[in-house]
Amino acid sequence: MTNTAHKVLVANRGEIAVRIVQACRKLGLDFVCVYTAEDAGSGHVRLAKELGGPKSLYRVASYHDANELLSVADDAEATAIHPGYGFFAEDYRFARRVSQRDRKLIFIGPSWRVIRELGDKINTKRLARSLDVPTVPGSDRPIYDEMEAEKVARTLFEFQVDNGIKNPLVLVKASAGGGGMGIEEVHDPDLFRSVYRRVRNYAARQFKDEGVLIEQRIRDFNHLEVQIVAERGGANIVHFGTRNCSIQSTGLQKRVEIAPGFDPSSIAYDFDADQLLADITRHSLALARRVKYDNVGTWEWIVTRDGKPYLMEVNTRIQVENGVSAAISRIKGKSGVDIIAEQIRLGLGAPLGYTQDDITFEGMGIEYRIIAEDPDNRFTPWVGLIDSFSWPEQPWLSMHTHVPTDEPYDIPTEFDPNLALGIVWGKDISEVRERGISFLDALVLEGHDKSGSPLKSNIDFLRKKTNRILLF
Amino acid sequence: MLDVSKLLEEIQASPYAEISVNAPHSGTLTFNGLVPSSRVVGPFGDWKEKKGTLLATIERERNKKPLHATEKGEVMLVHEELAGTFVQAGTEIMRLRHYLSREEVLSIILKKALHLFNAPERAKYYFIPAVEVKVKVSGPKAISVHDGMELFIMSRMKREAPLSYTGPEGVIYAVYFSHNQNMDAGQPLIGVCPPNLVGAVEDAVMRVQTEWREEE
Amino acid sequence: MDIEKKIQHLTERLTYIRDIFAGKHNENVRLLETKMEDYRQREASLSSQDRAAAVATLEDLFGFVEQKLENDLTPMDKVRIVRHPQRICLRDILENVYDNYTEIGSKDEHSIDPSMVIARAYITRRQGKKTFNQSVMVIGQEKGHGEEFRNGGSVKPWGNAKAQQYMQVAEIENIPIHTYIFTPGSYPIEDSPGAGQQIAKNIYELSGLRVPVVAVISEGGSGGAEAIGLADRRLMLSHGYYSVISPEGAAAIEGRLRDGERASQELIERCASQLKITAQDNLRMGYVDRVIQEPELGARPYHFDFFRTLRQEMLRATDEVVLGVKGWGPFRALALRSRKKKATGNFDFDSVHIRWSLSSSARDHLVEKRHKKFRQLSRYAAVDPRPWTSHFADWLKQALWDGYSHFKYDFFRRHTKNVSHALEDIDAEVRVVTNSMVHFWRKLGAKLFGRSRRKNAETERQLTKLSEWDEQSARDANWTYTSPRAKEDRAITCPNAEVQGCLDLWAPDLFGEFAGVCPNCGHHFPMEYQWYLNNVFDQSSIVEFNSDIEAGNPLSVDGFDLKIEQAKKATGQKSSCMTFEASINDTKVVVAMLMASFRGGTVGAAEGEKFIMAAERAGKKRYPFLAYVHGTAGIRIQEGTNGVIQMPRCTMAVRRYIDDGGLYLVVYDTNSYAGPIASFLGCSPYQFGIRSANVGFAGPGVIAETTGMAMPPHYHNVYKALARGHIQGIWDRREIRFNLTQALLTMGGRNLYYR
Repeated sequence: MTNTAHKVLVANRGEIAVRIVQACRKLGLDFVCVYTAEDAGSGHVRLAKELGGPKSLYRVASYHDANELLSVADDAEATAIHPGYGFFAEDYRFARRVSQRDRKLIFIGPSWRVIRELGDKINTKRLARSLDVPTVPGSDRPIYDEMEAEKVARTLFEFQVDNGIKNPLVLVKASAGGGGMGIEEVHDPDLFRSVYRRVRNYAARQFKDEGVLIEQRIRDFNHLEVQIVAERGGANIVHFGTRNCSIQSTGLQKRVEIAPGFDPSSIAYDFDADQLLADITRHSLALARRVKYDNVGTWEWIVTRDGKPYLMEVNTRIQVENGVSAAISRIKGKSGVDIIAEQIRLGLGAPLGYTQDDITFEGMGIEYRIIAEDPDNRFTPWVGLIDSFSWPEQPWLSMHTHVPTDEPYDIPTEFDPNLALGIVWGKDISEVRERGISFLDALVLEGHDKSGSPLKSNIDFLRKKTNRILLF
Repeated sequence: MLDVSKLLEEIQASPYAEISVNAPHSGTLTFNGLVPSSRVVGPFGDWKEKKGTLLATIERERNKKPLHATEKGEVMLVHEELAGTFVQAGTEIMRLRHYLSREEVLSIILKKALHLFNAPERAKYYFIPAVEVKVKVSGPKAISVHDGMELFIMSRMKREAPLSYTGPEGVIYAVYFSHNQNMDAGQPLIGVCPPNLVGAVEDAVMRVQTEWREEE
Repeated sequence: MDIEKKIQHLTERLTYIRDIFAGKHNENVRLLETKMEDYRQREASLSSQDRAAAVATLEDLFGFVEQKLENDLTPMDKVRIVRHPQRICLRDILENVYDNYTEIGSKDEHSIDPSMVIARAYITRRQGKKTFNQSVMVIGQEKGHGEEFRNGGSVKPWGNAKAQQYMQVAEIENIPIHTYIFTPGSYPIEDSPGAGQQIAKNIYELSGLRVPVVAVISEGGSGGAEAIGLADRRLMLSHGYYSVISPEGAAAIEGRLRDGERASQELIERCASQLKITAQDNLRMGYVDRVIQEPELGARPYHFDFFRTLRQEMLRATDEVVLGVKGWGPFRALALRSRKKKATGNFDFDSVHIRWSLSSSARDHLVEKRHKKFRQLSRYAAVDPRPWTSHFADWLKQALWDGYSHFKYDFFRRHTKNVSHALEDIDAEVRVVTNSMVHFWRKLGAKLFGRSRRKNAETERQLTKLSEWDEQSARDANWTYTSPRAKEDRAITCPNAEVQGCLDLWAPDLFGEFAGVCPNCGHHFPMEYQWYLNNVFDQSSIVEFNSDIEAGNPLSVDGFDLKIEQAKKATGQKSSCMTFEASINDTKVVVAMLMASFRGGTVGAAEGEKFIMAAERAGKKRYPFLAYVHGTAGIRIQEGTNGVIQMPRCTMAVRRYIDDGGLYLVVYDTNSYAGPIASFLGCSPYQFGIRSANVGFAGPGVIAETTGMAMPPHYHNVYKALARGHIQGIWDRREIRFNLTQALLTMGGRNLYYR
C-alpha cells in the first residue's frame, strides 16, 4: 500500500491543485500548497487552510520559479512534488533537479529521462517509426539542406495526390520549435522554397538551429487520446481507454472531451472504429513499454475520416481530462477510479496491484470545460467578478473547481482561464447527452466586469456541441 | 484651477512616504545590522549603476540574494523576529520612511492636474511599437495624443488587443505603467496635459523645483 | 646674460632640483637655498662686478651640486625628471635639432589632438661646397612644458590615427621617420576607434612600413609608446624611462590598493627600481640600441650642446639604417667602417651625405631586417629548458615543413589545379550532351507506362518509415566537458535578473547543459577554457606543442618567483599561453590560447615567444591561425619591458603570417584588456567576441583614474565594441564550433589551400 509517511508539495494552482490535495487526503498523505499574491482567493488556498496540517501553505513569488518551490519543499519537509499540468509538468530539467539535488525528492511523474526522451518531437517520431507505429508522413529528422527539403516536399505533394487528396498541403516546422511557433503551411510546390527559407531563418534566429521538419498537413481528423498508467520501473503498464477531444476552440484549445473515443454501437463510421481504438491502444502500449514508461501519460493521436491513425505526441503528465476516463473505468468491477490518486500512489513507488484484465469500461462520459469567454468572438477571455456559481448535485455528475460557490471570485488574469470541469456519466450516448444538457441548463454562472457588463461564458457553446459528440 | 501652493503645503505637512520592504521571494533571512533610524540610500552613480544600501540577504537554494534599498530614507522598523527564519515571498521584513524627492512631489501634483487616462481592465499595457520607439528616443513628452488615437496594446491571458486613447488632445506628461506590470482597472496609465493647462503645469514644475527642498 | 636673468635661471634650477628629488637630499637643497638667500641679502650692497663674481660662484656651486646629485639619481627620480615641465619637449627638438620644419595639422590647441605633433622637417648637410636638405617625417608626443591642452602627451586614439596616416605619407614619399616618444601612456578611452584598437593599427602599420624609422624615447609609457615606437633604431635619452606601467600604477597593483587609496612613496620607489625602466636597463636588456647622454639631472631647453648631440645621433642612426640595407659604394663603406671604429663626437655627421631614399629591393630588405631584429629580442626572458638536441630537431622539422609546404602548396597544387580545371570543363561538356538524351528517354517512358506502382510504394516507405540519421553528430546539449561548478547543488542569479526578469538557475543546468548561458536573457557566464578545448575542436584532435617554454621572472622581482610557481601549480600550465594544433570539422588549425586562469592571462616573454612560434608554424604548414583569448589582463607587468616588447614582436609575427596569405582569427571571451588588445590581437581583420565578453584598452578603474571620468556600465561590452568597429561579430558560445567552421569557409587569404 501507499507509504503514508510522505508529504507532497502541490506545485500548481487552481482546479488541479484542488484535485491533487483531495487525492492526497484519500491516500492519507500530508501535503503542502503554494500560491501567489494574485491567487490568494483561489479554492486550493482555501482547501489547504481547511485540510492542511502545519506548514501546509506557502506564498511564493511565482509558480514558474523552481527555486521557490524547492526551498518551500525543504522548509515544509516535503518528500515529493506533484507538478500537476502546465508549469513544470513536462520539464525534464525540473524533474532531474528534484531527483538529483542534495535533498532528493520524488517527482510525481515519469522519470526525467523518459520526459526528455518523449518531450523531443523528433525522437518520439523516430521511436514510433522504429516500432512501426504510424506517424504523420514526412521527414523524421531535421533537414538542413535546401535541395533535400525540396525533394521531401515534392514527394509529399505527389504522395498526397496519389492518395486522392484534393488540395495537398505540406507543413514546414522548425524542428527545435514548439507550441505552434515556426510552423508554416505550403499549398503550392512553387512557393515551397520561399516558405522553407523563411522558416529556416526564423528557426536559426529563434532556436539557433536551422533544421526543419517537413510533414503532410492532415486535415479533417478527430483528436483521440489513450490514457496510460504505469508503475515505477515500467514493468507494469496498463491503459485506461481512449478519449475523443475533437471539440475545440478556434485556438485549438480543448473544450469537450468524451470517453471512449468512438461509439460504433450507435454511430456509423467510414472505418472499423473498434479495430481503430484497439490499434491505437496497442501502439501506445508498445511505445510505452519500449521507453519503460513509469507513471501516467497520454498518447495523442489524430485519426482521419478514412480511419488512418497517426501518433502526434506523448504528454508525459496528468491531463485536465483524466477524470472523464476515470468516470467510465472500473477496477475489478469497482467504480470511483481516481487516476490522480493512482498517479501519486504509483509515483511514490507502490506496485500497480491489478492487471489490464482487471480494468473494464462502462457507459460514456463527457467532460465540459467551463470557461468565462466569448465563443462568438474568437473565444476572447472574459475578465471580471463572478457573483454566483452553482449547480444541483447529481449522482452522475462530478464538478472540479477552484472557484468558490459561497463568495464572489475575481478571475486572475495571469493564468489559463479554466473555471471548472463538469464530468457527466451516462450508460450510453443518448443518456449522457441528455444528462449533459440538463447539467448545463441548471448551471448558474453569473458575474459582471468593471464596466458592469454581464459575464460571458461558453455554456451555450458547450450545449450546442453536446449533440455533435463523437460524430466525424 | 490648480492650487499649487495649497498642494505643496499639504505635502509639506507629511513629506514622507512609508515604504514596506517585502521579501521578493522565499528563503532564509539575514539582516544587515540596520536598526531603526539608520539611514539608507537608493541606487546612485551617474547611471544609478551602484546599488543602494544592503538591507538584508535572503538565502534560497544556497544562493545568497542581496536585498538593497531602492530609495533614500530612514529605517522605521525591522522585523527582527524574522531574522534567521524562513520567510515566504511577500512577507514584510522592514519598513522605511522616505522623504519625498522633487520628482515624487511633482508626480503627486501632476496626478491632480493632468487628464488621467485609466486602465479599462486589469491587464498589462504597452505602447504600440511606433509610439514605444518615440518614447524611448525622445521621452513621452514627444507624443501628442488625440481622442480615438490608437496608443496602447492591452495584454492579458496571453492575448493582445489594441486600445485607443480617449480624452482631450495634448501631450503625454507622465507614464504610470511599466513593462510587464499588471495594472488594475481604473489605475491611471498616462497623464495628458491639454494645451490650455500647459501654463499651469509648467508653473507647478517651476514651483516644485524651486520650493521643494530635498532632505540631505 | 644679465645678472637678473641668471638669478632667475638659477631659481628655476633650484625649483627643478627640489621637484625631482621630492623631499630627498634636503641638505643639498637647503645649501643651495641658503646660498641663494645670502646672495639676495647682499645683492643691494654689491658692486656690479662683485655681483657677477658672486653669481659665477653660485653657478659653480649649482654645477657642483648637480653633478653630485646626478650620481644619486634613482629610477623614480628619473620618472620625475621626465615628467617635469622644465624638461625638453618635442617643440624644443624641432627648433634645435632640425634646420627647418612645418607643423602638420596643428596650431597650439587647434588640432585633432594637440598631444600628437606631426612635422615635416629637414636637416641640412654640407658635403664640400654642396648643401643637401634631407627631409624627414617627425612624429611625436608633445608634453608642451605644462600646457594643459597637451594632456601631458597622453594621446587620444585619433591622435594616433593621425600618426598612422603620416607614416603612410612618409612611405609614399620615401623619406625616413623620426619619432619622439614623450608619453606617460595612451588616453584610455573607447571610441571609433578606441585606444587599443588604434595602437594595434599603428603597430601593424609600422611593422610593415617600407621606410627607415628611428625612435627616441624620453618617456616611454607602455602602449602609448609602442604606437610610434616600433623602429629600426631605438635610441633612448639617458634620463628617460621606458616601462610597462607607471611606477604608481605598479605600486597600486603590488599593494592591492582599492580605488582612491594611495601607495606609499617607498613602495613606488621600489616598484620603479624593480621594473628596470631606465635607459641603462633597457640598453642592457636590448630593447634600445643606444643611450644618448643628457646633461646632469636631465636635458632642459637651455642645454644647446645636448641638442647638437641629439642631432648627430639622429643623423648617425638614420645613416646606419639606410646603409645597412642599401648596396653602397666601396669608398663610403670604408668611410662608415672607419666611423664606426671612432668614438662618437669626433666625427661630424653633418659633413657627409648619404641619400635616405631607398630602392624597392632595399625597402624589402629594410622590413626584413626590422623583423629579424625584433624576432631576436626578449628570447632570454622566457625559460626554455629544452636541450639543444631538441632545438636542433625542431629546427630540422621546421625546415622540412618549409620544403614540404612549398612543394605541396606552391608547386604541386598549382599544377594539379590546372589539370583539374581542364577535367571539369570536359565533364561539363559531356553532361550537356547526355542530359538531353536521358531527358528524352524519361519523357518517353513516362508517357508509355505512367508512374510505376513500385515507385509509389517506395515514396510511401520514404515518408512513413524510419530514416537513416547519424544522431550523434546532430544532437546538441551533449557537451563532452563538465565544469566542476556543474556538480554543486545551488542556484545562481543571472546578473541581468533585475532588468530581464531571469529566474535563478540551477548550477548543474547552467554550467552543464546550458553551457553557461542564461536561457532567458542569453547572458554568458564565464566557462573554463577546458570547455572550449573539449567542445569546439574535433574529439581528441588537440596536439600541444612548445609546452616546455615557461614563464619566468626575468627582472627578478621580489616574491614573483613564488607567485609564478603558484600559478603553475594551480593550473598545471607553464605559461598563460597554450599553443596547439587541432581540427574543426576536419580542417586543421593552429591555435594560441591565452588562459585567464594563469595570472589573468597576462602576456610575458614566454607567452610572446609561444605565440610567435605558433604563428610561424601556421605559416609554415599553411593552416589557419586562431587566437582564442579566454581572457587577458594585458602585459605581465612584473616582466617590465620584456613584456611590452611582445606587443611589436607578436604583431610582426602576425603581420608576416597575414602578408603570406594566412587567415588569422581572434576570438575574445570573458575579459580582454590592454597590451595584447592594442597589438597582436587587435590587429586581426577578423576579431569576434563571445557574448557578454568585455573587450577594451583599460579597465573602468584605470579610466576613472587617468581621465577623471566615470564610464557608463557595460562600456567595454562586445556589443559596444562591435558598434565601435573594434570587433567584427558576436558569437554565442554554444555555436562557436559552427561559427568557426563558417569563418574557415568564408574568410581567409591566398595561403589557405585547405578548402
